[in-house]
Amino acid sequence: MSEMKKIKNLKEFSTSADRFEGANLLCPGCAHSIIVREVLNATNDDMILSASTGCLEVCTAVYPYTSWDASWIHIGFENGSTAVAGAESMYKALKRKNRLKQPERNPKFVSFAGDGASYDIGFQWISGCMERGHNIMHVVLDNEVYANTGGQRSSSTPIGSSATTSPAGRVSYGEKKNKKDIVSIMAAHGIPYAAQVAPNKWKDMVKKIQHGFSVDGPVFINAVSPCTTEWKFDPKDTMNITDLATDSLVFPLYEIIDGHELNITYRPKNIVPVEEYLAAQGRFKHLFKDEYKYLIKEWQDRVDEKWAYLQRREESRV
Amino acid sequence: MAKKGWDEFEIGAMLRTFDGKIDDIAGTRQEDRAYSQNSSYTASVADWRLIKPVFNKDYCIDCQFCWIYCPDVSIISRDKKLIGVDMDHCKGCGICVEVCPTNPKSLLMFPEQADEETEIASWPKKDEEEA
Amino acid sequence: MAFDKMELEDIEVWDGNFAAAQALRQSQVDVVAAYPITPSTPIVEGYAQFTADGYVEGEFVMVESEHAAMSACIGAAAAGGRVATATSSQGFALMVETLYQASGMRLPIVLNLVNRALAAPLNVNGDHSDMYLGRDSGWIQLDAYCPQDAYDLNFIAFKVSEDHDVRLPCMVNQDGFMTSHTAQGVHTLTDDEAYGFVGEFKPMNDMLDFEHPVTHGVQAEEDWHFEHKARQHNDLMTKVFPKIEAAFSEFEKLSGRKYNMVEKYDMDDADVCVVCMGSSVETAREVATEMRAQGIKAGVVGIRVIRPFPFFEIAEALKCVKAIAALDRSSPNGAPGMLFNEIAGSLFNTDTKAMLSGYVYGLGGRDLTKAHLVALFKELQANVDAGKITTPLQQFIGVRGPKLAYL
Repeated sequence: MSEMKKIKNLKEFSTSADRFEGANLLCPGCAHSIIVREVLNATNDDMILSASTGCLEVCTAVYPYTSWDASWIHIGFENGSTAVAGAESMYKALKRKNRLKQPERNPKFVSFAGDGASYDIGFQWISGCMERGHNIMHVVLDNEVYANTGGQRSSSTPIGSSATTSPAGRVSYGEKKNKKDIVSIMAAHGIPYAAQVAPNKWKDMVKKIQHGFSVDGPVFINAVSPCTTEWKFDPKDTMNITDLATDSLVFPLYEIIDGHELNITYRPKNIVPVEEYLAAQGRFKHLFKDEYKYLIKEWQDRVDEKWAYLQRREESRV
Repeated sequence: MAKKGWDEFEIGAMLRTFDGKIDDIAGTRQEDRAYSQNSSYTASVADWRLIKPVFNKDYCIDCQFCWIYCPDVSIISRDKKLIGVDMDHCKGCGICVEVCPTNPKSLLMFPEQADEETEIASWPKKDEEEA
Repeated sequence: MAFDKMELEDIEVWDGNFAAAQALRQSQVDVVAAYPITPSTPIVEGYAQFTADGYVEGEFVMVESEHAAMSACIGAAAAGGRVATATSSQGFALMVETLYQASGMRLPIVLNLVNRALAAPLNVNGDHSDMYLGRDSGWIQLDAYCPQDAYDLNFIAFKVSEDHDVRLPCMVNQDGFMTSHTAQGVHTLTDDEAYGFVGEFKPMNDMLDFEHPVTHGVQAEEDWHFEHKARQHNDLMTKVFPKIEAAFSEFEKLSGRKYNMVEKYDMDDADVCVVCMGSSVETAREVATEMRAQGIKAGVVGIRVIRPFPFFEIAEALKCVKAIAALDRSSPNGAPGMLFNEIAGSLFNTDTKAMLSGYVYGLGGRDLTKAHLVALFKELQANVDAGKITTPLQQFIGVRGPKLAYL
C-alpha cells in the first residue's frame, strides 16, 4: 500500500497537479468537474478511470480531444463500473504473472457515473462489482436527473422536482416518487466503505475518498452535484446551492463502514430550512404556489425524519 | 485540430494524452507536461465567456477556495499562492468570485472586453456593511 | 497462486465445450469474465474447475450478466492482456451492445459462441440465430464443425485477434449440443506447444502502462465517426485474411491439421453442392459421398471464416458447379437467408451460370437428417437436368405442416 497523500489544509491541497483538464465541454459552473478534481487530487497514485455515458463522459472525451491525464475508458451507459472492474482484474492477473510494466505503482481504480447510470440503468452492474469485491471506487455524480439528455427524471429525482418526463403542469407538481436511498442499498452489500459527500465540504470529501482508497474492496461514493442547467440556477451559484443542500440536511453527509457502522460526518452549525434550498432552484419553483405549499412542509418533515434516523443509526452503533 | 482521413489516425479512436512517455503525472505541473494535441489542455474555451474574472492580488489571502471550487482547472496556484487565471480554460461561470471570502473580493467578474488594468485601478473598496 | 501444467493424452475424448475450455487454459488467458448460459455453460464451468485445481494463473471473474461479462472483458482487454469469454443465444443478444464497443475500440477478445436459437419461443438447442445476430458487429468470426475445430480455432483466434496489425475481437462458433455436448476424439497439443503457438500477449494502447496514459471509448460525432468505422471495415477487409492464412499455415506445421477460409469437399468435379456451416458440414460431406455412389456428383462447401466474408474464395470454390444450395440455419424473417444473399453477391459478377437456391433448416435444434440432404441433392440434380431451378428459391426443410416455400 502506498503512502496516503498528506492534505492538512487547502493551501497544501492546492499544490496538487491536476490530472483533469479544462477546455472540456461541461457547462460553466458544472459541479461534476469539481467533484472529479477532488477525487483525483486526493491521491498521487496512478489511476485507471472510467465514466459511464453521461454529461461527464460526453464532455471530456469527444474525439479528437480528451480531458483525462490518467488512462480512462468509457463503454456504455450501464457498465462503467464493470469496465474498471475488468481493468482491475487484469491488473491482479498481470501482477500475479509478473507482467506489469511498472510493478511498483499502486493504481487506484475509479468509476464515475451519473445518477441515471448508477441508480437506474447501471444499478445491476454496480451491485455486481460491489458483491464481487473488486478493489474499485464507484463515484456517483448525483445531479438527480438525466441532465445529458435534457432533464428526464431518474430514480434519484426528488419529489416535487419538475423534470421533462415528470413535468410540473396544470394538474401535476412534477416528480411523485421519493429519491432512492442508494447509499444504504450499496452499503447493504457489506462493502468496506460507502459514503455520501458534497464538494463544498472538500475536507470531509477528500478524507472519505482517501479512506476509500485505503480500504481493500469496493467503495461506493454518492456525491451531490448541483446542475446549473437542470436545477435552474445561475452558474455562479453552484457552491451556494451545494451549501444549501448540505446545510439544510437535504443532503446529509455520512459514511457507512463495513455495511453497518454509520457515522455522520458533518453537522451544520445553523440548519437551513429546506424551503430555502427549494426556493433557490427553478426546478422547484411551482411548489411555491399556494396549492403545493403543503409539499414544502412534507419535504421538511421528510428531511427531519431522515436526519433523526441517521442520528439513531449512528448512536446505536449497529 | 485538422480533420484527418480514415487511414491517418490510431485504431480504435484511441487518444493519447501526452507525447511520449510521462513518468510521474501527479508530480509534474501542467506547464512541464508534454501534452499531445489530443489533450483538451491544448484547446481553448475562451470564446464561451461573456464575462470574465479579474484577479486583484492586493486583496488575496491565498485561501485557495477559488482553486478548489473552479470547475475548469483555471485558477493557477503555485506554491500555495494564487498567481492568475487560465483564460484559455475559464468559461466565466463566476464561482471563484462567489467563493472568494475577502473584502473587497480579490476576484470580480467583468465584461469579457473589459481592460484588466483599468478595472484593477478602479477596484471597489472594502464593504463596511459586510465587514 | 499455484499454476500447474496439465498432462494430456495425444487424443482426448472431449466435447466441444471442454475442448474450448482446454484451449483457453492452454492459451493462459489473463482474464476470463463470464456468465453461464446453456449450452456454453460447461466452458465456463470447465475453466472454473481448472482455476479451482490450480491450472490457471489468470483471473476468473463470474459476473452477474452477459452484458457485464463482455463489459469486464472490454475493460480487461483495454487494460492490456489476454481476454476470453463464452456465451450463447440470449446471453449473446444481451451482449450485443458491447460487441460493437469491443470491436470499435479494437480490443482483442476471444468469444466462444456456442450457437443456440433465439427466443421467442424460448429454446436451448442449436441453430445459428445468435451467430447471424452478430454478423455486422465488426468481429472476426470463425466456425467450428466439431470439437476438434473448436479446440484448434481458439488458438487461431487468439493469434489473429491479438496481432497488432489486426486488433479485432474474434468469435469461435460451434453448434450448441451437436458440437458442444458431443464427445469425440480430439487430438491435443501439449501445454507448451499450444502456448508456444499462441505466443506471449503483446500489449498495445494498454491502460496499465502508466507512462503512456490512453483514453478509450471516446465519442466521435459526424465529423469523425465515419472515418473510424471505415478504418475498422478496411482492416477487416484487408488485414485479417493474410493473418488468418498465416496462422492456418503455421498451425498446420504444428499439428498437421489444415484449415481453410472455405472448406471444400469433393468440389473438384462437383455438379451440385451445398454450402453450410457448423456440424451440418460433416453430415453433408457424408451424404455427398453417398450421392456419388448414386451417380450424382455432389460436393460440399463449408464456411470456415464467416467474417470477414471470403467473397472471392466462395466464388472460386463455386465457379464450376451447376447448382448450389445455400443452407441457412436461422430464420431470415422476411428476406432470403444470409448465406443465400452473400453467395449470390459473390457470384453475381462472375461468369458462372450456376443456379442458386436457398434452404432454411434446423431451427431450434431440429435435426438435419441424411434423408433431408439426399432429397436436397436430388433436387439440385433435377435443376441441373432441367437446366433451370424447378423449385421456389427459398424452401424450409424439416418443418411440419404444409410445405413452406417462397420467392
